[in-house]
Amino acid sequence: MTEPLVEIKNLRTHFFTDEGVVKAVEDVSLTIPRGKTLGLVGESGCGKSVTALSIIRLISPPGKIVSGSIAFYDDGRKIELTTLPEAEMRKMRGSRIAMIFQEPMTSLNPVFTVGSQIAEAVRLHHRVSSREAWDRAVEMLHKVRIPDAQRRASEYPHHFSGGMRQRVMIAMALSCNPKLLIADEPSTALDVTIQAQVLDLLRDLQTEFGMSILIITHDLGVIAEMADDVCVMYASKVVEYAPVVELFTNPLHPYTRGLFASRPEPGKPKDQKLRTIPGVVPSPLRFPSGCKFHPRCAYAQERCKKEEPVLRRPNLSQIPPSHVVHCHFAEQIEEQEEAAVKSV
Amino acid sequence: MVALVTIVLLFLVALCSPAIVGTKPIVCNYKGNLYFPCLGYFNPKWENPIFIKDKFRGVYPRSLKQKDAESWAVWPLVYQDPYRRVKADEWHGVPSSREMLDNPVQNHGKPSAHNFFGTTPYGVDVFAGMVHGTRIAVLVGFVSMGIASFIGITIGALAGYFRGWIDVVLSRLIEVVMCIPTLVLILALISVIAEPTVWHLMAIIGVTSWTSIARLTRAEFLKLREMDYVAAARALGASHVRIIFIHVLRNALAPVLVPISFGVAAAILIESALSFLGFGAPPPNPSWGNLLHLGQDHILGKMWWLVLFPGLGIFLTVLCYNLVGEGLQEATDPRLRQAGK
Amino acid sequence: MTVQAPAPTPTAAAPATRPLLQVTNLKKHFPIRRGVFQRVVGHVRAVDDVSFHINPGETLGLVGESGCGKTTVGRTLLRLIEPTAGEIAFEGRDVRALSGGQLRQLRRDMQIVFQDPYGSLNPRMTIRAIVEEGLIIHGLGNRKERLEKVIDTLEDVGLDPTYINRYPHEFSGGQRQRICVARALALNPKFMVLDEPISALDVSIQSQIINLFTELRRKHNLTYLFISHDLSVVEYISDRVAVMYLGELVETGTSRELYHHAIHPYTKALLSSVPKMTPGKKPERIVLPGDVPSPSRPPPGCRFHPRCPLAIDICKVESPRETIVDGHMFRCHVMEQQLKSPASKK
Repeated sequence: MTEPLVEIKNLRTHFFTDEGVVKAVEDVSLTIPRGKTLGLVGESGCGKSVTALSIIRLISPPGKIVSGSIAFYDDGRKIELTTLPEAEMRKMRGSRIAMIFQEPMTSLNPVFTVGSQIAEAVRLHHRVSSREAWDRAVEMLHKVRIPDAQRRASEYPHHFSGGMRQRVMIAMALSCNPKLLIADEPSTALDVTIQAQVLDLLRDLQTEFGMSILIITHDLGVIAEMADDVCVMYASKVVEYAPVVELFTNPLHPYTRGLFASRPEPGKPKDQKLRTIPGVVPSPLRFPSGCKFHPRCAYAQERCKKEEPVLRRPNLSQIPPSHVVHCHFAEQIEEQEEAAVKSV
Repeated sequence: MVALVTIVLLFLVALCSPAIVGTKPIVCNYKGNLYFPCLGYFNPKWENPIFIKDKFRGVYPRSLKQKDAESWAVWPLVYQDPYRRVKADEWHGVPSSREMLDNPVQNHGKPSAHNFFGTTPYGVDVFAGMVHGTRIAVLVGFVSMGIASFIGITIGALAGYFRGWIDVVLSRLIEVVMCIPTLVLILALISVIAEPTVWHLMAIIGVTSWTSIARLTRAEFLKLREMDYVAAARALGASHVRIIFIHVLRNALAPVLVPISFGVAAAILIESALSFLGFGAPPPNPSWGNLLHLGQDHILGKMWWLVLFPGLGIFLTVLCYNLVGEGLQEATDPRLRQAGK
Repeated sequence: MTVQAPAPTPTAAAPATRPLLQVTNLKKHFPIRRGVFQRVVGHVRAVDDVSFHINPGETLGLVGESGCGKTTVGRTLLRLIEPTAGEIAFEGRDVRALSGGQLRQLRRDMQIVFQDPYGSLNPRMTIRAIVEEGLIIHGLGNRKERLEKVIDTLEDVGLDPTYINRYPHEFSGGQRQRICVARALALNPKFMVLDEPISALDVSIQSQIINLFTELRRKHNLTYLFISHDLSVVEYISDRVAVMYLGELVETGTSRELYHHAIHPYTKALLSSVPKMTPGKKPERIVLPGDVPSPSRPPPGCRFHPRCPLAIDICKVESPRETIVDGHMFRCHVMEQQLKSPASKK
């Protein structure tokens, strides 16, 4: 195994709203390996974005990291991010950890040229002259494959299309050589052909810069292409965590199984109905008792309603130890499913 | 919230003003019949003509006793009159000291147990004037804003919904009306109208202050007409009238209440200003502005109560309407709402 | 300039296969206005010369990237947007010529479901009022009959009819979308435009709604125009698929044909851009260079040529015409030459 860059242990981030405490992240533990990509999948409101924002400590009141630790390993030193003073944290942001967002339209300031915005980001962390910073900006724009970078650097954001702006965002994020790039739904707002460009770019830049990527998405296809490890979140919890190939070949949690089965795939028989996950995504203000997935789970039993499962290694011979699942009956479900496959 | 309660209270006071302060009984039994003379404060015609025929001359307590020994009456909470001075011995407990009432300017007529807010230079009770003045304050706010809302919403809705040349014409109209200085127009018109009343005032304020309402309604309509539910209603075959009233107006109304609420405050201020300048409701009518007008020579003088109490009344009322307006704005502005979440 | 579309078989000969909807050379140009006098300075050619047909009971998928004009096509069919030119024939009636009462009648037969389940329900109407509205507008039934119809329809779309007095904000995205479907369904339409009906929903909810659409199609014998940018969903639900690029249809074919034997280079690139569910394998994809050009200044010739890996000189000058091979339509100079040359003809 590669050494970890970020290790999150039992993270809890809650939002204290007027309507009650929203437990947006509950007891989440995960590891981002150095130079690799961790994918965080889940539906809207499952806590995946809040997990990412907790790492970069951009949780604003009424939100608060309640407990847990986030360790960042930098040049052999261990830095605890949850207790780091704000001034230190500010130095980490941009230089060690950078983030790109879903909305490339609103993440750039419309009144400055893109070049000056990137140069600004460079000068925040490095004592360089504005000339050098500008050159660095142009270099970065070139690296994210914006044609004619020299000229485009002095243009304003509205001259750029959605895909181009996302490239500018990536250029800005990588301008200080961060160790970790957090990409929150980086391609969701983009068209398929542009998404393909951006994902390819991110992969190539990872090889070049060697940073780790935490990619957050609801699209399993993006995960398949980008991630090395996958962490599936449902209702503020990690429900399944495994290397990508392992997860795609052997999904164990009923929710993950449901996600795979409910996707219309090329080649699936068309007259057959899609398998669905019944019910609705629960509101974080009113989570169900016990296992939070039980009201929607086809395999739910009495125990699931009362007792919250733990994230554990299933007792199955073919499953590698790196694959963990948050379900009481993962083994039984696997047996049932296999029997069903055989009987067909 | 406090502001809203205050405004509701103001309404109640306006509605019940004759029952709170007055010299006319709320109910009385006179010669075997029941009468409600206090309604005369709302409209002189509602005071039963029998009292004029029987020469009451507005002084009920004595007249009732003299002319019908069997009569009984329920009196307002405070026996004072907004239109005239209460004479000595007219009512038990009201001071009989002549000089106190006859020489109010001699540092008399200041607030006392009988004249809570003091009296005017003519010996008329200020508290009574304040209470009855709420009627005009409420009326001015609502009638003028009623007119303004009707014009504003109609014009804004037409411009925003139909767009095109209708929008161009109506928008220019809005801009033209916005350029008219309300106060100057009112002063000009009042000098032309032979007998200006409060109603003229309200009408003029109404027809000049609808522009902000129209502009906001137009903006809301422009936004809401693009909503998918409007498209869905069109796909169902709904007519323009149905879409405007059921789908757009109902959703536009809440934000439009904001400028209306601010408008009420502005209208009250304009009325007070005019009355203060002497162009408002004709003097015997109790209005806060008129009381202020009486006090204008005494701002730094001895009759401070003539300035303080009506001024405070206007200030608080306007403040409340503005607070309600701001509250509405917060409640309807999605950005502020999201920030609250 | 275009080769005649394949469908218009003589009506007398085969009435059963007469298309329910026939669209010919549909155009919608939005004027761009500038300045104080709102002078028209140009046009956004949102839809330019689009022709297709939909047979009764069939689902036509319409795919394309944002800004390609697919939503505009859907809305012009119902005349929610007035087309600039072209013909729309629904059951042989010329939709564009209808007015007043006839148009209302048409709207009983054609309905639409929108993408955003939050914006497409009036927040101040109860579910009952929303679903009932169409019945009221068309004066169908009395109070009691209408209520029965509302309850039936809600059951049809899988909603508990005891909710009828609730307001939209009390429902989740998926349930709201069911309400939107119920509103459209209450008038017993023959044809529905589904404009990105699942894009705004959570992944685990999408399949529920897709199943609802297929179920309703079977039960009520509906015909759909399914507009989406999600190629996998379109393949699953559609019988035939049309691909749009910059206001033009570039390829139309049965979904089987199109997904397995795409002809147009844009379709090929589009299909290869969909992230594959096979981790560990390096995706083989055609990455298109550049961005989609603005529809206000479409490139001359073939609109796809600046991004096309196959482009030749003629593509820059001449717009390709519709070519039909075995009912599979495409517009591409290069592929036309290849397929028409006798050597490669299958």
